Amino acid sequence: MTRILTFVAACALAILATSAFAQVPALEGTSPAEKARITALIEAAKGEGAVTYWDVVIQPETNDALTAAFRKYYGLPDSFKVNYQLLATAALQTRVEQEVGADKVTVDIAAIGSPSWVFERAAKGDALEYDSPQYQHYAKSIESGLGKKGFFAFNGAYLFVPMWDSTRLDFKGKSWKDVIAAVPAGRMSLGDVSKSAAYLATYAGQRKVLDVDYFKKLSETKGSFLVRSEQIASRVVSGEDLMTFTGMPTRAYQNNQKGAKLKFIFPEEGVVLLPQNMFILKKALHPNAAKLWIDFILSEQGQNLIVKGEALISGRAGFKSPLPEYAPPIESLKVIPIDWEKTSTADLQKLRQEWVGMFNP
Amino acid sequence: MQESTAVRRDPMTAATARAQSRVGRFAEVGLPASGVLIGVLLVLGPFLATVIRSLLYWDRDQVSLSLQNFVGLFGDPRFYQAVGNTVICGAGATICSCLLGFSLAWIVSRTDLPGRRWFEIFNLVPFFLSPYVGAVSWIYLAAPHSGVLSRLLNQYLGLPDDFIRIYSLGGVIWVLSLFYTPYVYLFVIAPMRQMDAALEDAARVHGASFWYTLRRITIPLLTPALLSSALIVFVTSAGLFDVPLALAAPKGIRTMPTEIFQLVQYPSDLGRAASFGVVVMIVTVLFTILQRRYIDRRRFETVTGKGYRPRLVQLRRGGRFAAWMLEFVYLGSGVVLPLIALFMVSFSRLWTGRLDPSVLTTHNFEYVLFGFKLTQTAILNSVYLAIVGATIGVALAVLQGYYLNRGSRRRRALVDSLLSLPLGIPGIILGLGFLIIAIRTPLYSTLAIILIAYIARFFPFATRTVSSMLLAINPELEQSARASGASWLQTMRYILLPLLMPAIIAAWLLLFVIFIRELGATILLYGQGTETISVALVILSEHSAATMTALAVVQLILLLGAFMLFRLTRASLLQA
Repeated sequence: MTRILTFVAACALAILATSAFAQVPALEGTSPAEKARITALIEAAKGEGAVTYWDVVIQPETNDALTAAFRKYYGLPDSFKVNYQLLATAALQTRVEQEVGADKVTVDIAAIGSPSWVFERAAKGDALEYDSPQYQHYAKSIESGLGKKGFFAFNGAYLFVPMWDSTRLDFKGKSWKDVIAAVPAGRMSLGDVSKSAAYLATYAGQRKVLDVDYFKKLSETKGSFLVRSEQIASRVVSGEDLMTFTGMPTRAYQNNQKGAKLKFIFPEEGVVLLPQNMFILKKALHPNAAKLWIDFILSEQGQNLIVKGEALISGRAGFKSPLPEYAPPIESLKVIPIDWEKTSTADLQKLRQEWVGMFNP
Repeated sequence: MQESTAVRRDPMTAATARAQSRVGRFAEVGLPASGVLIGVLLVLGPFLATVIRSLLYWDRDQVSLSLQNFVGLFGDPRFYQAVGNTVICGAGATICSCLLGFSLAWIVSRTDLPGRRWFEIFNLVPFFLSPYVGAVSWIYLAAPHSGVLSRLLNQYLGLPDDFIRIYSLGGVIWVLSLFYTPYVYLFVIAPMRQMDAALEDAARVHGASFWYTLRRITIPLLTPALLSSALIVFVTSAGLFDVPLALAAPKGIRTMPTEIFQLVQYPSDLGRAASFGVVVMIVTVLFTILQRRYIDRRRFETVTGKGYRPRLVQLRRGGRFAAWMLEFVYLGSGVVLPLIALFMVSFSRLWTGRLDPSVLTTHNFEYVLFGFKLTQTAILNSVYLAIVGATIGVALAVLQGYYLNRGSRRRRALVDSLLSLPLGIPGIILGLGFLIIAIRTPLYSTLAIILIAYIARFFPFATRTVSSMLLAINPELEQSARASGASWLQTMRYILLPLLMPAIIAAWLLLFVIFIRELGATILLYGQGTETISVALVILSEHSAATMTALAVVQLILLLGAFMLFRLTRASLLQA
């Protein structure tokens, strides 16, 4: 009798579990093996109860949308926590290195537009090896050096380009060179290369198409040095700066949504594409939840939410951007080629010194 | 049977009495001494950690004891730029604060200016506000081309709209002066009230003009108080991280605190940061010693106990106008205008440099209070740190104050000097010391390490407040209680603590206010989930002006609430 009851209970549980998982969108249309893998990850993630990620671009509102969709996608309960922190590039690097050095890792996933640094983390063994099935959709991006198979792809890419408020400035330039004389001295802002790895990476790329003399002339514009792209955009919107040398289309989109009239160009010499490489830390406290998060963010649905919220450029093959004006397809951009894996921190530090020597921030 | 029971009870009673006596003795000696010991550890811990770290030099994976960090620091021109700028900021803020603080104190304590009772209260308000929020507000007011004031000056006076250079050392000095003026004001107002007016009267009777009397009689009499406050303002303003971060960093102007912060950031150089910290600590310790000397002189020279009531100066129409103008300019610049700027930005969906009714919204407040986890966590953390920190800090202060005023006279001066050291150590350097201590321990990135750093940095403020009250309480009261059979704990419970209560409340509120707005130490110690309001303000200032200003308003309400409590409990700073 007891055996019969146990059998019935087990069957009932199995049916309940199957019906519960049947409602999980992530399992729809997947192979049995993939279904088993995802189901195991979901169960483990439920046990972990949370995932923590740090990012340098994604705004709180986008995070809210991603969190809700992530829970729904995997059928996770509302009690499952998605801890998120928005940091400046250098701050994220500092905190990750401190935590790894202190052997007290609290973050599961870091997403940052500093590809050389992420390649170094992977090489040093700080990144968890995880071959997400979603990477197959990023094969081209990974092959072109914007990711590393088995370790990381990117949740979106961004770039820094000249940006201005069209209600205050009628700029018709097409080249980086047109920017120098566009506004009076002191009315332009620049990303602070001495403090930010993202601006440093951009400078490293720009130096491939613009010589030192160009930057010497740029330094004579007596610009303000800022770190955050949001702050840079706010100052253009308020009229404090007439133009920025390092505007982010993402911020143009977000401010224009609120009524601003920001414009930008993709200069003809080319742009430096910064992939927001996402990697799981080797000693992450919630590795299973982190794997699910990576899978979700790289999925069609995750990319759609990110591009709609942040106007980032997707690296997913065949993805149709909902905001082509702000986040055009990678193929349409003239990207300055850089081998990030071979660009060491030491190389970048030399370029930083060169920039500091000219701009003296 | 009864007799034998009595015989058996006697030894027990005696033993109990002996045990109680031992407990009482331990409490009387041990508790105050433990308060001092904790204080000394809190001071020496980060100091030694910073010194040791400054002497460790990493070359790839090899570590050695070396002075290489100092060699690198002294060979770096940025070090001298940062030191030079810091000295300029500190000196500028000190001079301006002294001029303003002295003038305001004189107006409310020595003149018949109508409304001076109100000014007496409102002059203290900037003391309770966050200098960082003040600096950000001044950006919205005076940023070139977009600041509200800059536009008005351009529109109505035809001045260039970059006439006010807020992103400059001058801007830093201006904002620092606004927020440090109350320090000078507090220092000089009491001696100004106690001053013997006969000296001034004698000078005036002998034909001295008002200015001559002020220059030759009033100011020299107040010199010790002015010098004491000047030293405090110099040391604290030079070590402040927040205001240079907001106003100097965007123009690439280096100062000591921002440079140390930068050295800790990726690619971090903790060794050089520590060596920078050691140099600053040595200088500030010297300043603290100087400051102590002057404070001692001030006590000696001005507190005479005679209770003079100085004659009020009858202001003429011109003088009255000038005094009102000064009050209005100070309160306008330090309180009213920053508040207006904060409210305008916090109620706007998009800040375009002017108030646009079409973009007004309350969404920013709803988001900060109910929709954004970072700000909710930060508010809760700040309130928790302020309440728990202030409580622990005051408990320590009572024990230390007791030791310094009632304990053994041996080494009292040395202990007092040691416990005063954090007064001169900038928050960011103390934070660096605790970061070095905690980085490889479970304390790293926890609220506990932030709490410890707060207490370590600010307990001397509470100790001084409690000590000054203890000085005024005659020990005979406690001696009478002890002579009547009360234990030490009972004496503390029923005699001393009730008498100390005003100072305890004042010290608690003072620490509460300081902890709610503290940034220097926290910026290096916070982690995921341990952000405070000030840290969230810095994070948000880089992301969203609207939510940042909404959070600043929340912080402002907390701080002004503490100020109201201050007034309501009658434990004002002036009394303390």
